[in-house]
Amino acid sequence: MKIGLELHQQLATGKLFCPCPSELSEASRSQFFRRLRATSGEAGALDAAAQQQAARGRLYRYEVTPSSCLVEADEEPPHPLNPEALSVALSLAELLDAHPVDEIQVMRKLVVDGSNTSGFQRTALVAVDGVLQLNGRTYSLPTFCLEEDAARKVEAKDGDSAYRLDRLGIPLLEIATGPEIRSGPEAREVAEALGALLRATRRVRRGIGSIREDVNVSVEGGARVEIKGVQELRLIARFVENEGERQQKLIAIRDELVARAVSPPQAPVQPVTDLFRETTSRSLAGVIRSGGGVWGFALPGFGGLLGKSATDPERLGRELADRARAEGIGGILHSDELPGYGIDAATVAKVRSRLGAEEPQAAFVLVAGPDPAVALRALEAIRQRAEQALSGVPEETRDPLPEGRTRYSRPLPGRHRMYPETDVPPLRVPADLLASVRQHLPERPASARARLEREHGLSAELAHQLVRDGEVDVFDLLRAQGHPPALVARILTQDLPPLEERRGAPLAQSASERARILDGLLVEVARGRLAKEGAPPVLEKMVVEGLPLPAALTESGFAGGENPALEVQVESLLDREHTLWEARGMAAFQPLMGHLMASVRGRIDGQVVAEMLRERLGRRLASRTAPPEGASPTG
Amino acid sequence: MKGSPSDPLAQLLSLPIGTPVRLVVNGRSWEGWTLPPDPLSSPRVVKLKVGSGYNVGVHVPENAEVEVRSGPPFGEERNPQNEKAQPSSSAANDGPRVLLLATGGTIASRVDYQTGGVRPVQSPEDLADVYPGLFQDGPVELRTVSEIFSEDMTPADWTRLAREVDRGFHEGSRGVVIAHGTDTLAYTAAALAFQFRRLPGPVVLAGAQRSIDRPSSDGPLNLLAAIRAARYADLGEVVVAMHHDPSDVQVDLHRATRVRKMHSTRRDAFRSLNVTPIGTVSEGRITLTEDHQPPQTGPPEGQFGFGERGALVWLVPGLTAEHLESACEDARGIVLAGTGMGHTHRSLIPWIRATSEKGVVIGMTTQCLEGEVDPFVYARGRELQRAGVVYLGDMLPETAYVKLLWALGHSPDPSRIKALLTAPLAGEMSTRRTLDEGSRS
Repeated sequence: MKIGLELHQQLATGKLFCPCPSELSEASRSQFFRRLRATSGEAGALDAAAQQQAARGRLYRYEVTPSSCLVEADEEPPHPLNPEALSVALSLAELLDAHPVDEIQVMRKLVVDGSNTSGFQRTALVAVDGVLQLNGRTYSLPTFCLEEDAARKVEAKDGDSAYRLDRLGIPLLEIATGPEIRSGPEAREVAEALGALLRATRRVRRGIGSIREDVNVSVEGGARVEIKGVQELRLIARFVENEGERQQKLIAIRDELVARAVSPPQAPVQPVTDLFRETTSRSLAGVIRSGGGVWGFALPGFGGLLGKSATDPERLGRELADRARAEGIGGILHSDELPGYGIDAATVAKVRSRLGAEEPQAAFVLVAGPDPAVALRALEAIRQRAEQALSGVPEETRDPLPEGRTRYSRPLPGRHRMYPETDVPPLRVPADLLASVRQHLPERPASARARLEREHGLSAELAHQLVRDGEVDVFDLLRAQGHPPALVARILTQDLPPLEERRGAPLAQSASERARILDGLLVEVARGRLAKEGAPPVLEKMVVEGLPLPAALTESGFAGGENPALEVQVESLLDREHTLWEARGMAAFQPLMGHLMASVRGRIDGQVVAEMLRERLGRRLASRTAPPEGASPTG
Repeated sequence: MKGSPSDPLAQLLSLPIGTPVRLVVNGRSWEGWTLPPDPLSSPRVVKLKVGSGYNVGVHVPENAEVEVRSGPPFGEERNPQNEKAQPSSSAANDGPRVLLLATGGTIASRVDYQTGGVRPVQSPEDLADVYPGLFQDGPVELRTVSEIFSEDMTPADWTRLAREVDRGFHEGSRGVVIAHGTDTLAYTAAALAFQFRRLPGPVVLAGAQRSIDRPSSDGPLNLLAAIRAARYADLGEVVVAMHHDPSDVQVDLHRATRVRKMHSTRRDAFRSLNVTPIGTVSEGRITLTEDHQPPQTGPPEGQFGFGERGALVWLVPGLTAEHLESACEDARGIVLAGTGMGHTHRSLIPWIRATSEKGVVIGMTTQCLEGEVDPFVYARGRELQRAGVVYLGDMLPETAYVKLLWALGHSPDPSRIKALLTAPLAGEMSTRRTLDEGSRS
């Protein structure tokens, strides 16, 4: 099996071709509607993928947000390439021994699915021929590109598609590996190593969707299939395995079709609506009642190869259905699953007869829908896919599904969809920028880990986690404020991540802002107003509910000023319980501690309480010969 | 970029565009196809298209090695599915005929990636390729009048266009569409409006703010709406068809003498000032307001041509009589864009009076663009009027300038020119404005 990865990491540098921030936003200010059409590329050829998308002729809706301007609305030309994003890309190229190109040419990559307003994604090849050394193996990294992220899809119903403009234009650093990865777990390791390096630049966005992988898989005798936009690293291995299985299955089907000497399907499409007038299939009855129809054609030789959904997750029938879906048809019916779905054997026999699918090995496919033109397009797409089955695995782009499976998205895009972005002049990589990048390279993950262990006494595991999660600079900033390393590391690696996952967004994007917020919390601990154990519930309020620190303290019952100072509490307790300590001396410490902790737990560190109690109790015992008058505390 | 014959740079530049090459520079090998030289590139940098489709600039030192690889040139390994649309397949031959005059500009040119330049759309095949659906609605006759961007247009081009429009109607077209660059589109529209007294059908100008080589171009909607309006709208005047807002849904029909480009880049750059648009085309449906000129029976009538030596001057603070004198030297007529209701600094009044007394026609408009000039509210207005300035109501400065050139072309007599300038001829001025009109409605 050959596997290659393309990592796409969002950069926290501001957008690539305008001064908008790299921030997502739930606020929508206004909206507008657009159509896109396919245009021919540099060589005058239309790209197959682009053409397929544009053929749908949709009206796309776009939501304007505070982090978008006229550039995202395609109402103003792009500004020059963001130099900070370029410097991040060059840093990474340098860390991975890649070579910057001499002159960068921004390209337009045709993408007319509505995910951008211009009809293309701007992208530029920035560096070539890097290498990653990992676990004794060398992986080639042929290309480093800077490109615009697409708009965020917010809604899709009744053929309507809506996108929000906040994500459009956020810089993506794309790093592609060669096809040298051999297994799913290895793919995950490579992705994690590159991810750690990216975070080491300290200028990447964090949170769900901030890093996405395209996974290219081909098995021996199969074909390159791209699974586009995997967001969860832990699923990479699963996607790879499932895709391998799918390709093996398709190869086996190909072998069987060859053995059966099946030729490309050519049977004509026939209307069969009349055979379903009395059907008990609710979906078909509904379509027919509302004026729609049913059409189909025979697939001689395909009988038994389309598969049943109950037993066979990766089956040819699903591949055919996916193509129909891409043309706007929700589902298909085929002979391997019939009789069934409310369609009886007698009807199936009539359909076979109508379509000329009476031979034992003949299969047939049916499509139902309100619009005959759409149905016929879907059947044509099914026919093409069935023909591809004769030669095995078709090259294509597939969308990831949540459970680690994928479905057909579109043909693999070709190089004809790339043409120059004439609004951005070519950029000679400035020598001084390159020199400055080389001088200020980020700390490599290995040396960061070593430093954390050496200078801050962290365990190898904690150091690894901080580096992997890109928290090293937050850690360094909090250490510079004098906060204890173990506590800081615990908050960053254990307390914070599950809370951020619950919130679905990071506490803050930038390291300095994260450090600033956490510093406020840690100062409360340092001053003894909040115990170490009290930090997580307050943090939970801050992260999950987004409360500022004072409100989070109050909400968690830690409103600092309302509680008497610890020493007041200790002294009044000693006054109240004087018979106890007078009788038992230092042995009264444990029960007295129990009383105190019952009222200050979570607010004041147990150790601080113990020290104060031990000291004051000792003082009382020493002056027992002269017990104090009244209950006034000493200063 | 020059070099000796042994220079690898010269060798590369001598190869046909699209040649597959391998370039070895300091031990690094680049494989790709040759591309046209980019005038914006740094010295000794050549562009290659590499296998992934990206273009990259490679610096070619004298010790670089160039080798022609085997394989087809770029662009010849096409997917047979990727053939262009043929206009004949969907062309409709019945229905009223529309003449489409192409002048150049964004809307009627396409980027030629082989040469890196922009070339005009010349054949119906080209046009159908760029604007699918253009011929579906009925017959469209394409005529290329010029191949220039609109900033290069002159009054002579306005005259030529009027003659082409005239010819189109005489040859039986129901309406005429003019594909025009947007920079001076409003000037051309006004120029056509003043040249025609009677029109038997619509003359519709359309442009594009986004180049038509991009999938998101606004050109198709504008052009298709313009053709629809030319074919079916109950109009006998010159209008401009451009996006109503950022959406690809509604196109506004603006009166030629009232429209102005109000944004350098947006799709909805064109706005009717002081009036509402006279109609819309939305999803193929044409709606006209009551304020429109219906088609006139009979052939078109008009007075074509423009005079020379007209000027348009913005009266800015700090402007002196010397500036005015040098800007308006030899002028036979001047349109002033004054401040507010048509004012300027008092120091300019003697020059204005002297110039007017020499027989130079001086008209006043407002640089506010919206609203009318009025000489009676402030003393300055009355002084200027006494100095010989004629006040031009709510006429746009550019419209007044075009009207002045037209009047200069049809009379040598200052008083006749003044009379033409102040008379409403093509809907360019009105005496009544309402709260809901103009660009902020």
